[in-house]
Parts: sequence; structure tokens; C-alpha cells
Amino acid sequence: MPTGDRMPRAAVALIALTGIAGGGLLAVGATRTPPRPPQPAPGTVTDPATGRTTVPATPLPRATPLRITIPTLDVTADLVPVAASAAGELEVPPTHRPTVAGWYRLGASPGEAGNAVVVGHVDSRETGPAVFFALGRLRPGDRIHITRSDTQVATFAVDGVGSYPKTGFPTGLVYGAGTVPRLRLITCGGRFDERAHSYLDNVVVYATLIP
Amino acid sequence: MKAQSVLGSAALGVGLGTLLLPAAALADTTVSPATTPVGGTVVLTSTCNPKSGDALFRVTGPDRDQNVRSTTAAAGGGLSAELFTAGFTLGTYTVTATCGDGSSSGNATFTVTPIGGAPAGAGADPDNTGFLAAGGTLVGAAATGAALLMRRRRRAGTRP
Repeated sequence: MPTGDRMPRAAVALIALTGIAGGGLLAVGATRTPPRPPQPAPGTVTDPATGRTTVPATPLPRATPLRITIPTLDVTADLVPVAASAAGELEVPPTHRPTVAGWYRLGASPGEAGNAVVVGHVDSRETGPAVFFALGRLRPGDRIHITRSDTQVATFAVDGVGSYPKTGFPTGLVYGAGTVPRLRLITCGGRFDERAHSYLDNVVVYATLIP
Repeated sequence: MKAQSVLGSAALGVGLGTLLLPAAALADTTVSPATTPVGGTVVLTSTCNPKSGDALFRVTGPDRDQNVRSTTAAAGGGLSAELFTAGFTLGTYTVTATCGDGSSSGNATFTVTPIGGAPAGAGADPDNTGFLAAGGTLVGAAATGAALLMRRRRRAGTRP
């Protein structure tokens, strides 16, 4: 009976294909890893602005920053003020808002004399890559624009980018006071510790206000 | 020679001034390190002459105005005191020093910062549940189909 022979053969083929497809999907599901952010070279302990020919602009008065734009990375994000936790750790924007960045309000404002610090998430468990995911791709000379509440737009030129273990965070270089208006962008980087649910490094971008 | 006397006095004044100016310029206050994570210790140092008595460091900043008395003679001269920043509000502080003889020794600033880096990443979850569910369903369907086929083949084999 030809129909009887054909049916089992077709059924066997269909079953085999289904099994192979299912196995493939299971393999993908078991091994697929999330995208990892670009990693800059290990950071130095000296300010990358040292020795650069960038002429800083005159400092601006204090004003609340509202928005950050990084054309090279196609990033435009609102800024929210952040401070520090009770344990003294820098606050970050709420995890349910991975597309905003935080301005450390206890330091200088962007454009003011001193170091202004802006922190943003590299990724989120729920939505994947976040506002500062590609920060490690920035190169010296790239521009960063900060729109301020006084309607001025402060433009910064990147001096350098570095990656630091969180245990060796360059506190002085990031928060240090001074007379030159500088900007520091911070996010996470390096290897992700699955057990601690935390990245082991921080990526820091150093920039100086330009005219 | 009144003119000569005036000239002589002026020359003496200039000479004394030249001698004294470097000493005056040295009267200074420093804080080391200039940036510390909250809870860290900074050393306040003044170039006050220890023979004049203790120096007094006035520390002012966000919600703080406290005096710290020098405790030790600094290694390079002058007087110093350690300041423990536990409980300090984050921000920039100004230290103004007054020497034991009442003279001012200038001022310096230091910044109390957050501790360590920033927890700015949670690790993206690739959300593989869709793949696992679809794969599991297909493998299950294939297994069921294979079982049915085997059963059918066995029945066909036992048919008289």
C-alpha cells in the first residue's frame, strides 16, 4: 500500500525536522549571552587632560543640567540629580529608568569650575543596553553637550577614556576640585560578576569645557 | 645728611622686606589629600611657627563649622592635625588656619566624595525563555510523534 508507506516516511521526516529545530532552539536558549559593552583600555592615574592642547573655556555660573547629548554615540538623555546613598556610595538613576543619566548634585554643575560628574547605567536586566552602554567607544576629541537650566549649552571635548577596577576607583581624578571646568562620565564595565550581579569595573570619560 | 638718612632707612626697609617676604609667603595651609571618600582621613597642615602655640583650623562647609586644634609638629615644619571625615556631608570644605600668635595662615579646600565607583549596571538578561519554551514544545511534539509512529509500527507488525 503506497499511501501507507509514504505516510510514515513523511511523518518520520517531519518528526526529525521538528526534533532538530526544537533541539536547536533549546541550544540557543541555553547558550545565548547578552551583548557586552565596549571596553576601553585600563585607565591611568593621571588626568588625560595633562599635556593636551585643549584650551578650556571660561567657567560658567552654576546651573542645573537638564540634558546630555553625545552625537558620536547617538545618545540624548535627560539628566536627574543624584547624590549618595547612606553608605556613601554614589547614587545612580532608578533602574526602571535606564535611559536617563544622573548628575552628582553635590559637586560642580557642568560648565562650572571644577569637576562635574554624570553617571549612567550601562545596561538593565529588563531592557538590555542602557544610556551609557557605548561610553567606552568615545575617543579624545569627541564632543559632549550639556543643556543647562539657564539655556546655555556647555560643550566638552573628550580628553580620554579609561577603565578602572571598582576597588581602585580614581576618586581624586573624578571628583577633584579645581578652577578648570571639567566633566566626568561614569558607567560600569569590565567583567560581569553573575553571583554579585555587578560589573567589576567602572568606565570613566574625562572631558574639558571648550569655547 | 637728612636725605642720606632717609635713603638709608628706605634701603633698610626694602632689604628687610625682601628678607621677610619669603617667610610671609610660606605662611600657608594645605590639606592632604585634597579629595577623600567620606570616612577617610585628611591631614591639615599649617606653616605656623610651633613656638607660637597651637594652630587652630576652622573647617567650614555643607552644614559644618568646627574648629580643630593642631596636635603634632609637621615633618616639614609647621603644625598639623588629622581630620576624620566619617559622618561628613559630601561636598567641598574650606579650612582656615590661625596661628598661636593670632596671625592668619591662609586657607585651603578639600572635597569629601562618595566611596568607590558607581553601581551603574545590572547585567542585561538575554531573556531566553522564549527560545527554551519553543524548543521544548518542538522537542516534545517530536517525541510524541515518534512514540505514536512506533506504536503504529508495532501494531502493524502484530496484525495477522
